[in-house]
Amino acid sequence: MLATDTIVALSTPVGESALALIRLSGSLCPEIESAITGRKNPLKPRQATLCKYLDINGLEIDQGVFIAYPEKGSFTDEALLEIMPHGNPLIIQKLLEDLIARGCRMAEPGEFTRRAFLNGKIDLSQAEAVADIIHARSNFSLEVARRQLNGSIGNKMSELTDQLLGILAELEAYIDFPEEDLPKASDVGPMQDLKRLIEAVDRLIETNHYSALLQEGIKTVIIGAPNAGKSSLINTLVGSQRAIVSDIPGTTRDFITSYIMLKDYRVEIIDTAGLHTAEDAIELQGIEKTMELAQNADFYLVIVDHSKPSPRLPESIHSVFKAENTLVIENKQDLKSTNSHKDFLAECQHCSISLKTHSGIEALKSSMLKLIDQGIALPKGNDAIVLNARHTAALKHARESLANASEDIDKQELSELVSVELRSAIEGFSQVVGKIDNEAMLDKLFQKFCIGK
Amino acid sequence: MSQDPLFQLDKEYDVVVCGAGHAGCEAALASARRGASTLLLTGNLDTIAQMSCNPAIGGQAKGHMVREIDALGGEMAINTDATAIQFRLLNASKGPAVQAPRAQCDKKAYQFRMKQAIEWQENLHVFQALVDELIMNKGQVVGIKTNLDIEFKAKTVIVTTGTFLRGLMHVGQNKNEGGRMGDFSAKGLSKSFIEAGIELERLKTGTPARILGRSIDFSQLEEQKADEKPTLFGFYDTREPEELFHVEHFGEKRLGWEPGYEPMSCWTTYTGAKTEAIIKENLHSSPMYSGEIVGRGPRYCPSIEDKIVRFADKDRHMLFLEPEGRYTNEWYINGLSTSLPLKVQVEMLRSIKGLEQVHILRPAYAVEYDFAPPTQLFPSLESKKVENLFFAGQINGTSGYEEAAGQGLVAGINAVQKIRGEDPMVLGRDECYIGVLIDDLVSKGTQEPYRMFSSRAEHRLLFNHPSAELRLIEHAKKHNLLTDKRIKAIEEKQKTIEHWVGFLEKEFLKGDSYATHIRRSREKSAFPKDLAEATEAVQDEVFYRVAFKGYLERELKQVDKLRHIDKIKIPQSLDYHQVKGLRAESGEKLAEIQPQTLGQASRISGVNPADISILMVTIEAMSRKAAEAKKAKQA
Repeated sequence: MLATDTIVALSTPVGESALALIRLSGSLCPEIESAITGRKNPLKPRQATLCKYLDINGLEIDQGVFIAYPEKGSFTDEALLEIMPHGNPLIIQKLLEDLIARGCRMAEPGEFTRRAFLNGKIDLSQAEAVADIIHARSNFSLEVARRQLNGSIGNKMSELTDQLLGILAELEAYIDFPEEDLPKASDVGPMQDLKRLIEAVDRLIETNHYSALLQEGIKTVIIGAPNAGKSSLINTLVGSQRAIVSDIPGTTRDFITSYIMLKDYRVEIIDTAGLHTAEDAIELQGIEKTMELAQNADFYLVIVDHSKPSPRLPESIHSVFKAENTLVIENKQDLKSTNSHKDFLAECQHCSISLKTHSGIEALKSSMLKLIDQGIALPKGNDAIVLNARHTAALKHARESLANASEDIDKQELSELVSVELRSAIEGFSQVVGKIDNEAMLDKLFQKFCIGK
Repeated sequence: MSQDPLFQLDKEYDVVVCGAGHAGCEAALASARRGASTLLLTGNLDTIAQMSCNPAIGGQAKGHMVREIDALGGEMAINTDATAIQFRLLNASKGPAVQAPRAQCDKKAYQFRMKQAIEWQENLHVFQALVDELIMNKGQVVGIKTNLDIEFKAKTVIVTTGTFLRGLMHVGQNKNEGGRMGDFSAKGLSKSFIEAGIELERLKTGTPARILGRSIDFSQLEEQKADEKPTLFGFYDTREPEELFHVEHFGEKRLGWEPGYEPMSCWTTYTGAKTEAIIKENLHSSPMYSGEIVGRGPRYCPSIEDKIVRFADKDRHMLFLEPEGRYTNEWYINGLSTSLPLKVQVEMLRSIKGLEQVHILRPAYAVEYDFAPPTQLFPSLESKKVENLFFAGQINGTSGYEEAAGQGLVAGINAVQKIRGEDPMVLGRDECYIGVLIDDLVSKGTQEPYRMFSSRAEHRLLFNHPSAELRLIEHAKKHNLLTDKRIKAIEEKQKTIEHWVGFLEKEFLKGDSYATHIRRSREKSAFPKDLAEATEAVQDEVFYRVAFKGYLERELKQVDKLRHIDKIKIPQSLDYHQVKGLRAESGEKLAEIQPQTLGQASRISGVNPADISILMVTIEAMSRKAAEAKKAKQA
C-alpha cells in the first residue's frame, strides 16, 4: 500500500519457459540491482545487460538479462528493474524468495498498473481499465486462495491461528486486567504452546509441497521391458529428441530426466533401464537403481508392448503400483496382436497408444493429468499442505516473530513487548487467512478467563 | 459577578448539550471554553457527573484516556485528582506503556466539584430540563423541546443521554422504567430519533448492590491500601496549580491540601460454595436466564450468575469492597453484578465471608437501554443522518465514565468546529486511546457495551500515560484547547526531553553511552546528576524513550506505513455503487459506513486490499477529472 514499498512480481506465466520476466518497482531497486549483479557501476538505463544473479549469500543462482529504468520515466514512474532469468520454476522461486528476503514485497494484484496510474503515467481514460485489472486479478487470486483455504491448508491455518490467538489472549489478560483474580501467570503455559506452534509452522513451511513440486516436479518413473518404447514415450511427451532412441534393447543405461509441464504441474520424467534379467554388468547396476527409484516416485508409467505377452515384473516392486499412482500404457497398437494385457496390473487404468502413429497420446496426457489432479499432486500425510509463494513468505515472517517472542519469554521480557512480536505473527497469518480482528483475540480471552470486577 | 450573556429562553445557542453525565459535562465545558455559547440541560441538577456504577476512575487504558482528556483541556483528570480518596498505579511491575493510574473517588465530592466547574464556566448556562424532542428543519436539527414544552434554539445539539433512553431496570422478575435506580426514563427522545431516520438498538448493563459499611466485618477481609505516592491524572508540571481546587473551596480556587491525602482502603473477599449453591438454586428467577432481557451485555463484566455458570471449575470469585466516599458509610461491591431478586441477593450476600450480617442499602439491578449504533456517525461524532446533531457517550454503545468523557470532549470541540465551518478534530489511532475508541466505534460499531482495552490499540507502546500531553499538543494548539502559558510549558518540556535523549545517546560513561547503560539495566540509576534533578515528568519520558528506543522506533515505522493511506480523503460525493470493479458486498458496507479516509475504509470488516486499490484509483480519477474541469472553466 505504501508508495515507497518495493514490490516484486513474476510477470510471465508460471511454468516452464525459455525466459521469464521478474519485475521490481520502488525505491529499493538501485540498491538491489547493485547487490544482486555484484557490479560496481549501475547498469546503463534502459539497456539490456547480461548479468549474474547473486543471492543474499553471494552465491550465483542464474544469469540473465537485466534492464534498469530510473525513477521518472519508467512504467510506474518509480525506479524499476526487470530481470529475465531462465524460465525454470525452481530458479524463479529462488529469485523471488531472495528478493523478498532483501526487503521486497510480493505485489498485490494489479499493483504495478495501479502505481503507474497514481503516478500519472496512465491517463484518466484508462482509469477504469486499471480498476478492471485489479478486479480481475484479485478475483483470480481470491479464487485460488479460496480453493486452497477450503482444503487442508485452510483447516490447518485456522487451527494455528486459533492457537496463536489463544497464546496472545493469555498474555493480554494479564496486561489488561491486572486487578482481576486470574490464575497465577505461568511462563511455562504459553511457552510450551508457543514452542508447539513454532514447530507446526515449521512443518507447514517445510512440507511446502508446492515448492517441492516446483523444485523437483512430480517424480514420474517410466518402467517397461526393453524396447517397449520408454524412450520414445519420453520423446513424444517432451517433444524433442532428448533420449537416444534405438531398436537395440538395453540402450538406456543411465537415467535420463526430462521435465514437462502438464497444465500447471511440473512433471519430472525419469527414463529407466529396462527391467529384465541382464548379463551385462552395467545394465545390472541400472536395474538396481531402477528398483531403488521405483520405491520413492510419485507416479509410475508402466509401458508394455502390445505385440508381446505381458511382462513379468520383479516381485519386489509389484506392490508399489496402485490404481492411484500408476498408468499402464499399451504401446504399439499399430501392430496386430492377439495378446491381452487385461490381467496385467488389473487394478490400474490402461491406455492404448501407438507412439509410431501418435494415436492415443492426447488421451494418455489427460489420463495422466486426471491422476495427478486426483491425488498425486496432493500432499501425502495429514500435515502436508499446499502453499503458494506469497503464503510461504508470510508464514516465514510470522515464524520469525514467533521465534522472537519465544526468545523474549525465555529472557522474561516484559509481556507487552512479547505481545508486539505475537501481533506481528498474527499479521503474517492474516496474509494467508484474511483479516484477523482483535475481537477474535478478545473472544478467546473472555472464554478462557473469568473477567469481571 | 459573571459577565456572561443573560440566560434567555429564546436565545439561539451555539451548542445545546442534552445530558450532564461524564460525556455531557466534558462536551459542554469544551464548547464553552472555546468561546461558543453553550446550554447544558440535565433532567436532574443533583446528579451532574454522577458515577452510576463503581466509584472509581482510571485503570488500564481508561487511566490513559483520562490523561489524554487532560492533555486536550478536559476536566475529568483534575476532577478526579481533587476528589480521589485512593490512588493506585496498576501494572507497576510492567513496562511504562501499560502502567495505568487508577483512583477511588468520593462520589459526592466528584459530582459537587464538577457541578462547580460547570457553574463557574464562562459561556456556559446550565438548566434543569428533560429533553423530549428534536426540532428539525430540512434534515437539520435546529433546537430541542423539553417535557415542559419549552423550546431551545440551537446551531448544534449534542446528545449525551447515557442509559436513559427507554431505560428498563430489572430486579428479578420486577421491571421498572428508568435509566438509573431512583431516576426517570427518557421516552420521547427515542421516538424523535427514529422519526429522523436514526436506528436504535438495545444493550444491557448492570450494577451491583450497595451495602452499609458498619455491617461489614472488616476483620475478615484483606486490605488493599493506596499507593504511598499518588500517581495523578492531571499534568501539574504544565498546568496552573490553582486549577486544582477542592470541592470545599467554593468559588475560591486555591490549594491548601495535597491530592491523595488521608487515603481510604479497599477490601477484598471471596464468594464461596454456599454462594454458588444459592445462585444455582435461583437461576430460574434471573431475568438473564429466563430470557426476559434481550439487550446484549458486556463480556468483560458478566453477572455473578454468568460467572458461576460459565466458569464452573472456579470455586471462588474475588470481590472488591470500595468506599463510596468520605462522608458516607455506603460501600460498593465490585464483582457482584446480578439481576437476581432482592431476597436472593440478600441471601447471597450473607453467604460471603465478612458480609454475614450485611445490611443492603440498594439492590443490584440490570438495565436495558436504547443506543444508536455508532456506525451512523462521522469520526467527528456528528450524525450522518441529521446535520448538526452530535452523539457522545453511552448512547453510542460504550461503557465507562472515561470512554464517555473522551467522546464528550471530542463532540464538544467538533460542534464548535462545525459552527465555524472548520474541519473537525479527528484524533488518530496512532495518537491516543480516544482516537482508537472513536475510530472503532464509527468504523466497526459494537455488539456489546464497548470498553477500552489496551489491546485494542495497535500502537499502545507509544501511549505511555505521561506522554499524553506531548502526543496531543498539535491538536491542542490547532484548536486552542489550552492556555498559551500551558502550551509554552509543554513545548519547553518537549525540548528538555529531546535534549536529554540526545545527550544520553551521545555522551559516554565508562566506555559506553549513557543510553547503552540505561537500555541494559532498564533503570534510571545511570542518569547523570543534572537529569536526576529534572522534573519527574521529564525523567520518566526520557527514560522511556531511551530504554525502549528500538521498540518505539519499530512502532513509529509501522505508524508511518499506515499514515499514508490515512491521509487519502474519500470525497463525500463518491457513489460506491457506481465504482467499477468494487465487489458488491464491499460497496454496500462502504456506503453504509461512509469512511472519511482510505485508512478508515481499510479497517471496515469485509473490505479487502483489492477494494482499497480500486478506491485509490477511483479517488485519483475523480480528483483529476475535477482538476481538468477547473482548468477548462478557467480557459
